[in-house]
Amino acid sequence: MIETIYVEEVIKNHPRTKLILNKFRKSRIILINNYGEIFNKRNQNFRIQKVNPCIILAHKKDGFVLPAPEGFGIGSSKNFYFSHMYNCIYDCRYCFLQGMYSSANYVIFVNFEDFDTAIKNTIEKNINSKLTFFSGYDCDSLALENVTGFAKHILSIFKTHTQIEIEFRTKSVQKQPFLSLKPMKNVILAYSLMPELMSNCLDNKTPSISKRISVISELASRGWKIGLRFDPLIHGENWKILYKELLENLYKNISLDCLHSVSFGTLRFPKRMFKDIFKLYPNEPLFTSPLSLNNKMISYDIKIEKEMTSYCKNLSLRYINENQIFKCSI
Amino acid sequence: MNNIKIKKNSIRWVIALKEEAQVILDHYKLKLVNEKTVYPIYKNEEETHWLIICGIGRNNAAASTAYLYAYSNASQYTSWINIGIAGSDKGNYGDLYLVDKISNYQRKKSIYPLTLPKTTLPKMHLFTSDFPVSDYSTYELIDMEGSAFFDIANKLTSKEFICLMKVISDGPKNDIKEITNSKISNLIKVNLFKIIDVVSYYERLSEEEFQIIDKPKLFNEIKSKWHFSATQSYRLETLLRRVQIFCNKKDIEKIINNCETSNSVINVLNSKIKNNLVNWSKI
Repeated sequence: MIETIYVEEVIKNHPRTKLILNKFRKSRIILINNYGEIFNKRNQNFRIQKVNPCIILAHKKDGFVLPAPEGFGIGSSKNFYFSHMYNCIYDCRYCFLQGMYSSANYVIFVNFEDFDTAIKNTIEKNINSKLTFFSGYDCDSLALENVTGFAKHILSIFKTHTQIEIEFRTKSVQKQPFLSLKPMKNVILAYSLMPELMSNCLDNKTPSISKRISVISELASRGWKIGLRFDPLIHGENWKILYKELLENLYKNISLDCLHSVSFGTLRFPKRMFKDIFKLYPNEPLFTSPLSLNNKMISYDIKIEKEMTSYCKNLSLRYINENQIFKCSI
Repeated sequence: MNNIKIKKNSIRWVIALKEEAQVILDHYKLKLVNEKTVYPIYKNEEETHWLIICGIGRNNAAASTAYLYAYSNASQYTSWINIGIAGSDKGNYGDLYLVDKISNYQRKKSIYPLTLPKTTLPKMHLFTSDFPVSDYSTYELIDMEGSAFFDIANKLTSKEFICLMKVISDGPKNDIKEITNSKISNLIKVNLFKIIDVVSYYERLSEEEFQIIDKPKLFNEIKSKWHFSATQSYRLETLLRRVQIFCNKKDIEKIINNCETSNSVINVLNSKIKNNLVNWSKI
């Protein structure tokens, strides 16, 4: 239940604003000038807001498409990302969003058409490069699809640019709009996963791993390309057994023909961000892990990182090719 | 200034008039402090609730909020409450409203207080004026302190810990000139149960925050045994927070017992973390 929706004055009559507000008829609507008045203010408590977040409907002015950070790719020479939303309905304890924003409210930008223009311009400017776009770097790309309809909207661009890849990264079990469309070879539905036992402790408010696997399996059987994202890899007692079970379960239950790529990333936080997140959740079991400062990042020891990555990679190589495996290193 | 140890929950009231405050003073058993103060200040025996009578206007509201903060040694997990009467032609006379938007003449941008979740109490937009207003048509609620109270309180704590409540006392059908002291007291009195209910949320919030940010149990004990610099103290606090989640007090005492220096205490705790294998099945 969303109790309050803040709406920027400039988009109060936008058809998409009206469409979204129609889905929350009981919410209190408060008109604002600029989403930053709510979202960017200091002296807010992310943890308390996360219990009862509000929605902010806004107009994005710039920065529609940005170059993805190095180490975020899945094989293309150039990678870009865009976010129609800031923040996530889930509450994963390792997520960088909790250290990035002072507010836990969800900002939804309603001017999708400006994203279209920016994506098309980026494609035109990079006509000779292999491109991948990532949707939802600052949010979960599908978790609020039933409210925003952004994925459905943006897919139309990629129907006409079949050589350009788009990845929707998610933990949701949102199957629309994909079930009602013909599979597109340049669209990757990428699922973040970890062993169920760990997910139960760390992925708050998310669908269970088994539900995610069931959706992956269904979409793969329909012919959609699937990405598996084990990012971050989590350490702990019996981690080898837990990851072996998870990986084998996946590789045995989904159509490998539809598997686009698999990537592994280790748990890491910029030092400042870790400090902020630790301050928010000082009693979090994740932070009892052997985390320390390595190359300006708080992470597991390099020895642990290497062991986990190579173990999971070697196990995956029994089922898939090396060129399908990538490392997330941002 | 007093040097008062903060109790588990911590509430600070900023109220313009004694007549508005009287019901609160009686209910929470707040007594005038035994010192000469710039503004009248009241507190309960446990020193969890403090109340200041700020007088009318934005300057008084701002100054008294800052004064109460310093005088009562309020913390970052103190909740701040402003309650009072307000004019309106939108709501009903005598009804209590929560405030989730505030504007004033001086400021181009509005400010947006949060309200407690899952409440059935109605919410309104407050306009804080520097002089009594007779045209009620432009704003939902009109008072003379709200914006200044929020501005200062939000410098002292995060906005989740600030609450503004207003009871409608005047409007086109209820002339402001007819407000009397007893009418004011009565307007607050008829809403007392609702007010208590709202404040209980802020008491809980303050208490929960206290539990989260309170220093680890062994922190002071360890600091009294070894000398820690400021940087080391921070390291100790962070490490203790992490270790105490999987290690009980006795075990921690045991592993640091033979340490000769503060550095070795930190090293021992650090190595405890380095060797910890989280057992996810037990969480």
